[in-house]
Amino acid sequence: MTQLARVIDAWRSLLQCKLALIGLILLSVFLVLAAFAPSIAPHDPKTLFEPLLPPSPQHPLGTDDIGHDLLSELCYGARFSLSIGLLSALFSTAIGTVLGLLAGYKERLGYGIMRIVDVFLAVPRFPLIVLMAAFLRPGAETLLLFFTLFGWPRAARLVRAQVLSERNKGYVEAAQLIGARDRRIMVRHLLPGTAPIALPRFIAEFQHVIVAESGLSFLGLGNPLVKSWGLMLSFAFRYPTILITDLWVRWALPPGLCITLVVLSLALLSYALEQQAIPRLRVWGSNARSRRPTRTAHATRGKASGQQPQREGLSL
Amino acid sequence: MKTIQTLLTLLILVSLNFALPRLMPGDPLSYLDNDDPSVDSPMLLTEEMRGKLLAYYGLDRPLGEQYLRYLGGLLRGDLGWSIYYNAPVWDVLWGRLKWTMLLVGTATTIYVALGIALGALSAWRRGSATDVGLMVTTFSLGSWPSFFVAMLLVIAFGLRWKLFPVGGARSPYLLGASRWEQALDIAYHMVLPVSALVLTQFSGVYMLMRNAMLGVLGEDYIRTAYGKGASERQVLFQHALPNALLPIVTMIAMRLGFVIMGTMFVEVVFAYPGMGTMIREACMARDYPMLQGAFLVTMLFIMVCNLAADLLYGRLDPRLALSVAEGVRVA
Repeated sequence: MTQLARVIDAWRSLLQCKLALIGLILLSVFLVLAAFAPSIAPHDPKTLFEPLLPPSPQHPLGTDDIGHDLLSELCYGARFSLSIGLLSALFSTAIGTVLGLLAGYKERLGYGIMRIVDVFLAVPRFPLIVLMAAFLRPGAETLLLFFTLFGWPRAARLVRAQVLSERNKGYVEAAQLIGARDRRIMVRHLLPGTAPIALPRFIAEFQHVIVAESGLSFLGLGNPLVKSWGLMLSFAFRYPTILITDLWVRWALPPGLCITLVVLSLALLSYALEQQAIPRLRVWGSNARSRRPTRTAHATRGKASGQQPQREGLSL
Repeated sequence: MKTIQTLLTLLILVSLNFALPRLMPGDPLSYLDNDDPSVDSPMLLTEEMRGKLLAYYGLDRPLGEQYLRYLGGLLRGDLGWSIYYNAPVWDVLWGRLKWTMLLVGTATTIYVALGIALGALSAWRRGSATDVGLMVTTFSLGSWPSFFVAMLLVIAFGLRWKLFPVGGARSPYLLGASRWEQALDIAYHMVLPVSALVLTQFSGVYMLMRNAMLGVLGEDYIRTAYGKGASERQVLFQHALPNALLPIVTMIAMRLGFVIMGTMFVEVVFAYPGMGTMIREACMARDYPMLQGAFLVTMLFIMVCNLAADLLYGRLDPRLALSVAEGVRVA
């Protein structure tokens, strides 16, 4: 089976899982919201209206204490929160995969890389990011740098483990024997196999950054000029009567729910991926060595064995 | 090996802590008297005072000497002087740390116990309504940011239904009360913050426990146990649970960092007098020595816990120690 066919197959069986489908739809809704924020948002988020307007057709969620339209802030918040999550996850997974590949294939270099990885992994990263943010008051780019800096070692370690287990297999040795260069072996033969490791890592990283960024903003350590969901929550929480009036329903609840739903959609996706990789975790899945053969196990056995081919590519 | 590595990492952290204020534009004193009107400047300095202060704190010495003095101070337990609280950092920290530890300890005990029990139950009855129900609930709970959950709890249980206090760690004016009444009062104030933490943290343990249990239940020794005629109860409590519990040990230590950070956010919402609230105050007041001290202690604590878990795990599970000794890395 070619790599492409395998990817398509894996994708198709992922979509068969309802959880993954829900997660994907949920995530796409937010991605669309972020991408088309200027057309979806009723106003420019920087325009000032009357403060604390109640909901009206013009301002579906009303306005905040200095007169920003809350719905527009929410839409543009999706833009910032999602793009920083997506980009940091992308960068740290890419860097981690490349370094993990090198570390797994080239022993000497790998030793050096892994020592750096070990140091990074021993550091509790979120406290450190908060501390650095408190000092340097980062803008979006610096924040991106922080998250990437502390995100890549996890991916690198997992990818390296995968490469180590693949390196001595027949197809790699065959490629070496016909004289393929190291770079070709790594890119053409080993890299595709790391996808089942890198993808879940990407999702986990995305999740982490969304939560971490909103937390930073909530503490007042984000950039106060760039609208993000965490910042909205932070301003809402700082408003004196937010909790005792109904104001929180349209000011604090929407951004909080948005963060929750994005994290939930990612959690669903990563759970679906995990289930694919390790079939015994499935709720209704078959278990070849089931301790008590149950009705559900029999009923789904045929279906599970049909998915055998993808599992080969997903060795952990 | 692990110990050396932790020490090395610690040295890097301490050095970073030393470097951070010096990486900022201006000298370490410039944040004391900045021109930014939005920040409450603790003091205004003349050129002469500035020179004297720099000399007093040894900031005019070469960097290497400053670094050694800083390390020496840390070894003696001297974390510096808080500008905002005008007291030694360690003293302020210790007063707050107790409350945070109380929250973290209580919440950890509850969420770990709950996660283990429900996770094991879920795996044991895989595919049943109980399992599916628990999975769905856990999934939806695990995604909520802790400060958001805390806010919702305040609104619902604190303000709408007025069941629990909305903030603080104890009622004022309880001086004449007996010890017992005081303890009750503190527990009463802890209900909502601890609930927020348990609700947000428990899903991790539940998932891990469920996965571990499913793994164990597929093992040959479980079948052997059934084969030799052990009862369901015996298999569960004597064969499956003890083995499935092993990864939880590491998990607790690994998650400790998350729990502590979660606690900080929850404290901010409840105005609980712990480290989280203090860190926010220090952030607002730009009390950098305080922040550095707080984070150094937090990170040190988390790292020591991780190290302890690593060392303990090898003892608890001899199979792992063996595989490490043979040079087999378990990914």
